[in-house]
Amino acid sequence: MISLAGRDILHGWGKFVLTGVGLGLLIGVTLSMAGVYRGMIDDAQALLDNSGADLWVVQKDTLGPYAEPSSLNEDTERPIRAMAGVDRAAGVTYLTMQIAHEGTDVRVMVVGAEVAVPGEPGQPPHLLAGRRIVQGHYEAVADVKTGFAIGDRVKVRRNSYRIVGLTSRMVSSGGDPMLFLSLKDAQDAQFDKDSDAIVRQRARTASSPVLNPPGNPAVAEAVNAVQASSNNVNAVLVTVKPDADAGQVAAAIRRWQRVTVYTRADMESILIDKMIANSARQIGMFLVILAIVSAAIVAFIIYTMTIGKIREIAVLKLIGTRNRTIAGMILQQALGLGLIGFAVGKIAASFWAPFFPKYVLLLPADSVRGFFAVMAICSLASLLAIHAALKVDPAEAIGG
Amino acid sequence: MAEGIRIENLVKTYGSGDTAVHALRGVDMSVAKGEVVGLIGPSGSGKSTLLKCLGAVIEPTSGRMTIGDRVIYDDRWKAGDLTALRRDLIGFIFQAPYLIPFLDVIDNVALLPMLAGKPNAQARKEARDLLEALDVAHRAAAMPSQLSGGEQQRVSIARALVNRPPVILADEPTAPLDSVRALAVVDLLNSMAKQFDTAIIVVTHDEKIIPTFRRLYNIRDGVTIEEERGVLKAQAAK
Repeated sequence: MISLAGRDILHGWGKFVLTGVGLGLLIGVTLSMAGVYRGMIDDAQALLDNSGADLWVVQKDTLGPYAEPSSLNEDTERPIRAMAGVDRAAGVTYLTMQIAHEGTDVRVMVVGAEVAVPGEPGQPPHLLAGRRIVQGHYEAVADVKTGFAIGDRVKVRRNSYRIVGLTSRMVSSGGDPMLFLSLKDAQDAQFDKDSDAIVRQRARTASSPVLNPPGNPAVAEAVNAVQASSNNVNAVLVTVKPDADAGQVAAAIRRWQRVTVYTRADMESILIDKMIANSARQIGMFLVILAIVSAAIVAFIIYTMTIGKIREIAVLKLIGTRNRTIAGMILQQALGLGLIGFAVGKIAASFWAPFFPKYVLLLPADSVRGFFAVMAICSLASLLAIHAALKVDPAEAIGG
Repeated sequence: MAEGIRIENLVKTYGSGDTAVHALRGVDMSVAKGEVVGLIGPSGSGKSTLLKCLGAVIEPTSGRMTIGDRVIYDDRWKAGDLTALRRDLIGFIFQAPYLIPFLDVIDNVALLPMLAGKPNAQARKEARDLLEALDVAHRAAAMPSQLSGGEQQRVSIARALVNRPPVILADEPTAPLDSVRALAVVDLLNSMAKQFDTAIIVVTHDEKIIPTFRRLYNIRDGVTIEEERGVLKAQAAK
């Protein structure tokens, strides 16, 4: 038996393909939305993976350092470093800000990490080009997505930094590329007051007889020095020894330190279940709406195509074509439309994904799920047209 | 001659009670194999209703219908599968050819044997043989839109004949044609009826072809009057 659906498609292939392309662009948008969601999760996991930490020690009762502000004294790391099961511990700072570069603003997450010893938690785990930070000040390593090149100078707050290395996939949970500085530079950038505030603070100190006792200017100098410097970090990143259990080490830190400690699983939960939960729901809503719109479009197209063939269907029924053959023809056309649409959508989504400002991750498993969803939607959408075709009276082919 | 189709006392009533419409009041008709008869009558006389009953498209209210030795209807359908019955026992030729526009000529004709379960190659061979008999085999690969009106009508005749049905119902087959082509189609139907031993009923208003029928059924107010060569032969008035 010949394929009636295939012959009908071939007969009007131009119209069919154009319709499929239109549907495909819609499917491409749907796949991209799923890719945006996957990209957000991947960004969050990359943030955790690349930090190199097993535990995150943050200010007591906060969800820091990524979901809420957290501030700890940098000395917190020292007793932690000495605890059983702890391999390494290092303070880090995180600050998201805009940096002017070659006439445009680049949004980055400035990360302050201990740079004295290679491999400390918080440092970029790999470099694409250049070298790691070796000087205590004014050097930076940037993610390639910043668009910075080795040798470029970028200004963060009052100071200028030279890019000495490039890394990749180092992004915040929001997808902003990272710029690594030494911890001290990053602390300055994060906690520095502006000049006007320093002048006013010094004037206030000078006018206070308690902070500026007559005959002893060293007290005021010491106060000013303390006020102008910062030794806070946002979190202490901890790696545990290979034979240690991260959960037990976390429990021990919680018991002895007035801090909150998160394991990798806790932090994944914070990032994925709390931070991007609303975005995920938002995207989920878009996916549902796009699926409904796609179904409505397929249903309308297939219904219109069927209504346009009422006379042929009546003739087919009159000369002995079974209802299941006619229903099969319509279903095959709907699936054919879905197949073209999916192929176009997949190609389109793969083509335009790199141009999205945020990371779009198109997983093969999502494509497979998307394919079956498209086929299911097309099958459902064909029901209306099949119903209309089955209602056609073969007597319509006979005049009178 | 062996009998092709016979109907006896066929009644079709639409609705019931005071609003009932008696479209067929007891029609008798018989067409032998190899014979072509005309069915004429004014608008509203019941021609289309009779055609739809003969075509197993609508169910009569009562009466009896046989095709060959097979009882098709006897106060109820005797065949469980009317789709298969239409496919295997009845061929249709329409006022317009109504070829399937997305199938080429040979597959328009081969579709019926394919629907009956024959392999594609065999169905196409049977279709080609018929197209040759009807002198349109040279257009086998053409699409219907590329054919002339006469060629389309020949292809539709081939489609009606391809399953070798004992009965063919032709609904105004010459309406869109000029005199020469209309008479040619009637000649063709006569020739095909004899060649394929098929009973053909031609419903027509076409004055040009009415004189060509050896036998005519004139339907008026739901009853048929049989005429032979223009002579009133019998009246089945009810």
